[in-house]
Amino acid sequence: MSELLSAKGLVAYYRRLDGGWVRAVDGITLSLREGEVLGIAGESGCGKSTLASVLSLTAHEPLSVRSGSLTIDGHELDVADLPSIAAELRGTLVSLLPQGAMNSLNPTQRIGDFAFDVLSSHLAEITREEATARMRTRLDQLGLPPRVLTAYPHQLSGGMKQRVVAVISTLLNPRVLIADEPTSALDVSSQRALLALLERLLRERIIGSIVFVTHELPVLRNIAHRVMVMYAGQLAEVGPTEQLIFEPSHPYTKALMNATIVIESASRRERIPDFEGSPPDLAFPPPGCRFAPRCPMVHAHCTQEVPPEVTTEAGHQAACWWVADQMRAKDTVAK
Amino acid sequence: MANPFRKYIVNKLVWYVIAFFVAITLNFFLPRLIPGNPVDVLVSQFLRSGGTGAGANKIYQAFIAQFGLEKPILVQFGTYVLNIFRGNLGQSFSLYPARVTTLIGQALPWTLALQLPAIIIGWILGNMLGALAAYKRGVFDRTLFVSSLAMSSIPYYAFAIILLYLFAVVIPIFPAGGGYSFGVTPSLSLHFIGDALTHYTLPFLSLILIAIGGQAVGMRSMAIYELGSDYVNYSTGLGVREERILAFVFRNAMLPQVSGLALSLGTLVGGALITEIVFSYPGIGTLLFNAITANDYPLIQGVTLLIIVGVLLANFLVDIAYGYIDPRIRTARMGER
Amino acid sequence: MARRNRFFQLASRSSRFKGSAILVLVVVLFALVGPIISGQDPQKVVAGPNQPPSKSLVLGTDNFGRNELVLLMYGTRNSLEIGVIAGLIAIVIGVIIGTSAGYYGGILGELFMGFTNIVITIPAIVILILLSIALGSRSTVTMGLIIGVTSWPWTARAIAAQTASLRTREHIDIARLSGARDVPIILREVLPYVLSYVGMAFSLQLATAVLTEAGLSLLGLGPSNAISLGVLLQWALLWEAVRQGVWWTFVPPAILLAAVSFGLLLMNSSLDEIYNPRLQARRQAA
Repeated sequence: MSELLSAKGLVAYYRRLDGGWVRAVDGITLSLREGEVLGIAGESGCGKSTLASVLSLTAHEPLSVRSGSLTIDGHELDVADLPSIAAELRGTLVSLLPQGAMNSLNPTQRIGDFAFDVLSSHLAEITREEATARMRTRLDQLGLPPRVLTAYPHQLSGGMKQRVVAVISTLLNPRVLIADEPTSALDVSSQRALLALLERLLRERIIGSIVFVTHELPVLRNIAHRVMVMYAGQLAEVGPTEQLIFEPSHPYTKALMNATIVIESASRRERIPDFEGSPPDLAFPPPGCRFAPRCPMVHAHCTQEVPPEVTTEAGHQAACWWVADQMRAKDTVAK
Repeated sequence: MANPFRKYIVNKLVWYVIAFFVAITLNFFLPRLIPGNPVDVLVSQFLRSGGTGAGANKIYQAFIAQFGLEKPILVQFGTYVLNIFRGNLGQSFSLYPARVTTLIGQALPWTLALQLPAIIIGWILGNMLGALAAYKRGVFDRTLFVSSLAMSSIPYYAFAIILLYLFAVVIPIFPAGGGYSFGVTPSLSLHFIGDALTHYTLPFLSLILIAIGGQAVGMRSMAIYELGSDYVNYSTGLGVREERILAFVFRNAMLPQVSGLALSLGTLVGGALITEIVFSYPGIGTLLFNAITANDYPLIQGVTLLIIVGVLLANFLVDIAYGYIDPRIRTARMGER
Repeated sequence: MARRNRFFQLASRSSRFKGSAILVLVVVLFALVGPIISGQDPQKVVAGPNQPPSKSLVLGTDNFGRNELVLLMYGTRNSLEIGVIAGLIAIVIGVIIGTSAGYYGGILGELFMGFTNIVITIPAIVILILLSIALGSRSTVTMGLIIGVTSWPWTARAIAAQTASLRTREHIDIARLSGARDVPIILREVLPYVLSYVGMAFSLQLATAVLTEAGLSLLGLGPSNAISLGVLLQWALLWEAVRQGVWWTFVPPAILLAAVSFGLLLMNSSLDEIYNPRLQARRQAA
C-alpha cells in the first residue's frame, strides 16, 4: 500500500499577546499509508489538536506554521502559506472533523443548506436532490433522522451536532480525514456507530486513510493500526497499536498506559509508579527532553540534549535517551 | 408564524405597553414637580417671555377647564390619559389658540422626510462599509476605522454647525437655514420641491454621515468577530466558496447591529431633533425648541409624547424584524430521536 | 497583581491607547490647569465684541467682548465636571443593578433586567427635557445628576452579562458554600473581575454625558449659571455667530466636544482590543 500522507518537521507556534511564542508543535514527522488509521494520543496541551489543524490545512491566527513539508496523495502542500493552496483540495484531499461541533456549525444556516454549499462548492453541477440523497444516506448510517436537514444547529443536541459534523466532514470523500476528538462528546452507542461508519468508509475505499486524534486510548485500541504518542509538542513514541499499549518503550508512554488502561495481568511487564506534575510551559520549553522534569528514568544527559528518535526492536520509534541507551547496550544501531 | 415567534412578539409587546404607560406617567407628573400652583407659574413664565395679559387670562381659563385643576391629581391624570387616546393634546400657550396636534401635524412631515431616509440609508451604508473594512483589512480598514470613529464621536449638531459654516457661509453653496426660501409657498410644485431640497441637503448630510460613521465602527467589530469564528474556519477548511462564507458572516454580524439599532434609536432621534435647531429646519426639533423657549407647556408635553410614541413604535418594529431574521428566535428545539 | 502588570504591558504596546490617552490628558489639563494659569474671570469684557483672533487674544472675543479662550477653558472644565458626575452616578447605579441582576438570576434577575429594559426603552432625552424644565434652574451638579440617572441602563446591562457569566465559576460557589453572605461575595469575588468593564463603561458614560449635556444646552436646558461647551455653542447659535462667520466662537467648542468624545471612544476601543483576544490576534497578524 502506498504512502498517502507524509509530513516532515512540522513546526507550528502560537503567537502570544505580548509577542512571545508558544511552541505547540515542535518538529513532528509522520507518515500515513493508504487504508491506515493512525491514532494520535497524549494529554491535554500536548499539541495534538494543533497538529490536527496543521495537517488538515485549517491552521489560523494566532497559530502560525513556521516550517515543515506536507505531501498528501502526491500533492505538495505549502503549509506555511495556506492561502496558496487551491480551494478545491480542501475537503476533498484532506478534511477536518473538528472538536467541539457546537461552534463549527453556522447558527443561522440550516444543516441541509450548509451541506449543499459544501457539495456545490466542489461539484458545480450537483442538484439539490442529489445532495439531499447523499446526506440522507450518511445521516442514516449514524442514526440521524432526515429532518435534521431542515434543522438549525440550535435545535439539535450536542451529540447530534457532533454526528452531523462527522457526516459533513466526510461528505466529499476526502483522501485523508483528520478526526479531532470525534467521539469525546458522544455516548457509547453513538461512538460505536461513528467508528463503524469510519471503518466502513475506509473499507469501501471512500476515504483513503484517517488520522484519529484523541486522549481516549481505549477508542484507539478499537480503530487505530498505529498510534503516535505526543508530549509537549514533540514525538514521544510511535508504533503498532497493540505493541505500543502492551510493550511501550518510552517512559511517558508507559506511564500513560499505566494510568489509563487496565492491562491484563498476564501481559503486565514493568510497573512504573504514578507520576505527578504537568507538562511544561510551551512558551519556555525546557532544554533537552521535555519530559525530563517528570521522568522517573531521567539522568543528566536528558536535560542537556534533545533525544533522538530510535527504532526499537519491536518496530516502534521512541524519542528517549533511556531507550537509546538500552538499544546501544544491546548493540543495535540507533537511527 | 411558529409559536416561539408569536411568544416573542407578545412578550415584547407587553414590555412596550408597560414602558408606554410609565412614560406617559412621567410625562404627566414630572412637570408638575414645579413647586406652587403650576398654572400660576406657567402663566407668569408665559407673560415673562412676552405673552399678553389678555392671552394669559384666556389660557388660564382654558387650562383650568380642560384639565380640571381643582380636581384631585389622579383625576387630572385620568383626564390626561383619556385625552391622549381621544387625540386631544390641548392648545398651545404661545400660539394660542392653535391646537398642539395641528402644530405637530405641520412639523412632523418635515422631520420624517429628514430622519427616516438619513437613518435608514445611513444604517445600510454604514454596515456595508464596516463589513468591507473588516474583510479587506490593511490600509483601507485602518483609515475607515479611524475616520468613522471620528465621525461617530462628533455629535450630530456639532457636525451640523461645522457643515453650516463651511457650506453656507464660507462657500455659500447651500442656504443657511429654514425648510424653504422666504416668500415661497409650500406646494407640490417642482419649484418648491427643488427649493426645499437645497435646504434639505445640509441637514441630511450632517445626519447621514454621522450615522454611517457610527454603524461602520460597530459593524466592523462584529464582522471581525464573526470572521474569526469556528464555523468560518470549518467552512474554509471544507473548501466552501468564499462568497457564500462572506454572505453568512455579513448576515450573522448584522444581527447584533439590528438589535443595536433598537437601542440607539432614542439617541439618534434626539440628536437629529437638535440638529434641526441648528438649521432652523421647520420640523419637530425646532417646534420643541421654540416651545421650550416660550415655556409653552402643552406643546412641550405634546412633542415629548410624540417622541415617546415614535421611539417605542420604532423599537418594536425593529424587534419584530430581528425576531424574524434570527432563526434562533423563530424556531423551537427539536427532540432527540 | 499579575493582571495589572499584563495590562500595562499590553497597553504600552498599543499606539491607539497611547494616542488617545494623550489626547484625553491634554484636554483635561486644558480644562483644569488653564483657568488657574490664565487667572482671568471668563465674564470679564476685555475688548470689543466679535474680535477675530489676534496675538493678544488667541481665540478672539465673543458677542459681549469676553475672552473666548478663557471661556473655552471654563467651558471645557464644566462640561467635564458634569460628565464625571454623571459618569460616576451612572456607574454606581449600573453596577449595583447589574451585579444584582447577574448574580441572583432567576425571577429577581428578570425583574432587575426588566426594569433596566424599560428605562432603556423610554427615550432619555424626553426624561431629561421634562426634568430640566421641572427643575427651573440647574447647576452643574444637578445636570450631572439627571444625566447620570437616565444613562445607567447601558452599564447595568453590560455588567449584568459579565456577572451572569461569572456566576457559574468555581470561586463563587466556594465562597457561597463557606457561608459568606451575598453582598460580601459580590464585593470580593465578582467585582475584581468586572472592574475592567467598569473602567471601560465609565469612559463611555463620560463621553456620552458630555455630549448629552451639550445637546440639552442647545435646547436651552443646560446649566443655568455655568458656562459649558454646549452653552458656548448655544450662544453662538443664539447670536447668529454662524451666519456672521464668527467661527472662533463655535468651531473651538465643537472641536473640543469632538476631541473629548473621540479620545474617550478611541481609548475605549483600544482597551477593548487589549481585553478581547480575538481582536488582538487580528491586529498582530495584519
